[in-house]
Amino acid sequence: MKEDTTNSLLQPFTHSSNNGRLIIITGKGGVGKTTLSMALTSSLHKSGKNVLYNCFDHPINKNLINGLDLPYFNLEMGSSAREYIAKKLHSETIAGWIFKTPFFNSLFNMLPGLGHMILLGHIINKLEEDPSLTIVLDSPSSGHVLTMLESPMNFKEMFKTGLIVDDIKRMEDFIYNENLLEIIITSLPTKMAIQEAVDLERGLNERKIDKIQFVINDVLKESPSIKTINKIHYPTFLKKKIEIEDEVFNELKGSISWRYLPHFSHKDASQVIQKASNFILEENNDFL
Amino acid sequence: MISYKKIEIFCGTGGVGKTTLATSRALSLSKQGLKVLLITIDPAKRLKQVLGLDESLSGEVIPLKNQGEDFKNLSALLMNPRATLKRMTKLSTEGKELDNPIINILTKPYGGMNEIMAIIEVQYYLKTNDYDCIVLDTPPGKHFIDFLDSSKKIQQFFDKSFIDIFKFLGKKIGESEKAGFLSMLVQSGIKRLLKYLEQVTGENFVNEFIDAVSGLYNNRTSFTEALDFQQHLKRQDFSNWFLVTSVEQQKILEASNLKEGAERFMHSDSFLLVNKSLAPYIDTWRPSSEHIGLVEFREAMKARENAIEQISKDGFKSTLKFPEVLDSEPLEQVKNLTTVWTF
Repeated sequence: MKEDTTNSLLQPFTHSSNNGRLIIITGKGGVGKTTLSMALTSSLHKSGKNVLYNCFDHPINKNLINGLDLPYFNLEMGSSAREYIAKKLHSETIAGWIFKTPFFNSLFNMLPGLGHMILLGHIINKLEEDPSLTIVLDSPSSGHVLTMLESPMNFKEMFKTGLIVDDIKRMEDFIYNENLLEIIITSLPTKMAIQEAVDLERGLNERKIDKIQFVINDVLKESPSIKTINKIHYPTFLKKKIEIEDEVFNELKGSISWRYLPHFSHKDASQVIQKASNFILEENNDFL
Repeated sequence: MISYKKIEIFCGTGGVGKTTLATSRALSLSKQGLKVLLITIDPAKRLKQVLGLDESLSGEVIPLKNQGEDFKNLSALLMNPRATLKRMTKLSTEGKELDNPIINILTKPYGGMNEIMAIIEVQYYLKTNDYDCIVLDTPPGKHFIDFLDSSKKIQQFFDKSFIDIFKFLGKKIGESEKAGFLSMLVQSGIKRLLKYLEQVTGENFVNEFIDAVSGLYNNRTSFTEALDFQQHLKRQDFSNWFLVTSVEQQKILEASNLKEGAERFMHSDSFLLVNKSLAPYIDTWRPSSEHIGLVEFREAMKARENAIEQISKDGFKSTLKFPEVLDSEPLEQVKNLTTVWTF
């Protein structure tokens, strides 16, 4: 890791290759979770890692995926759940039968946590089957990631015994293993966004998840196209925005778990991700 | 100026400023002397932050009059599924609380029944008729569609699934002891199904699950009444729809996707709200051509503003732009933005 010799109070985002194998990227809506997830997947992929992108329970953005040539996999809730039950009961027929009854079908609809847990189980299976694999999970925003990580505990409490509980224990072992799970909370350089990130950290800590890194996304004052230009040429609103960033950075001064990712100007989203991915590669000697 | 309706729905993907704009709308209506209730369903609880509310008050209507004169007609409610369930079961004929481990877990703030409980909650406050207008701050993106669909899920749950069980059981379910109820189930066609389920989930679960289901069934009136809500939402004289988006990469595309998903619920009084618009700053600024970086920056920003123009032509009654408010506290931002509504 480079020493902080620049004027910046925070260090650029780097990602150590011996971090978790399941990297969950979360944060409140609109902070650039998808940009960071895709940029990180792309930089890991370019450096020769066996990595897959997944966006959990969200429709995947095929245009971006194809444009960036990202390795990914898709999971669909309904079929994943059926597959899971079939595996447990050793019968696809019975699983099909169970899911055909409106009763169980509506039960699954009523309890989104159950489906989430099964998706998480699938992801963990994938990682267990291929020990070299890393998965970057572009996950739901703040509160919903808590639902996702809390589901196994809730359902354990609910089921108490049986095949699912054995699986849940396996899932918990995974979630609480610091070498396997890593959480990145994404934020923006505004006080409000930082506050939400800190709240989310507390929520995760309450659920005994401690391996957390913060990334402040879209930092204007570090933007490669802007930072080389003398500030006297900036318009007033840009100066104001940078002042706000400075205040935020000042408050976080010295905190090692906070990193930043610059703002990249381009009208095309895939170009922005491409630039971010190159930036991560350049900052990361570890990868090469 | 957009005239108010009984229900004002604010939807949008995450982080676009739904809560901020919903609060500014609620404040601008209450300033006109209307009694307004602002309900937030988002578990992110941004409203708590904006208005400085105490988390422990979630589930209760909180009058905001101590925030100042403009707030005297405004109340706020942070959704809490457990509180909704508690009130609902007290109202039901049984009179006693529904104390079932499964339901208790599901109604935790992140337990998964948020959307369904929210529908019940909103329907309840509509019925009290205490407010001229209810402003609804909905959960982000996909969860908003879940929210709209939840009344359909309720219907399916009580209609189809219960046909399986209850046509066999008759109407005794409320009175039946657990054992009696189970033994009836055992004789039924569903027996084999539950046996399989038991293998997966453990025996205890099946018992508690049956209890949970019968508990919910006893409160089915609350659930099924909530179905009306969805029908009302489709009425133009009853609701205004506000799709909130912000001028940020990807948010624009997400906004069109959300509109597509929610279109079957919406009617022609749908408005596009563009938050954090930099247009007023960008339009008046011309960077010198020697600063290529600044030219690029402006072009990228301008391209986003233009993309917004495109969707605003796509079936919205009108578009309101809320400028990015720099350097102020959340509540100051809200107060600042109320002026946009009065145009």
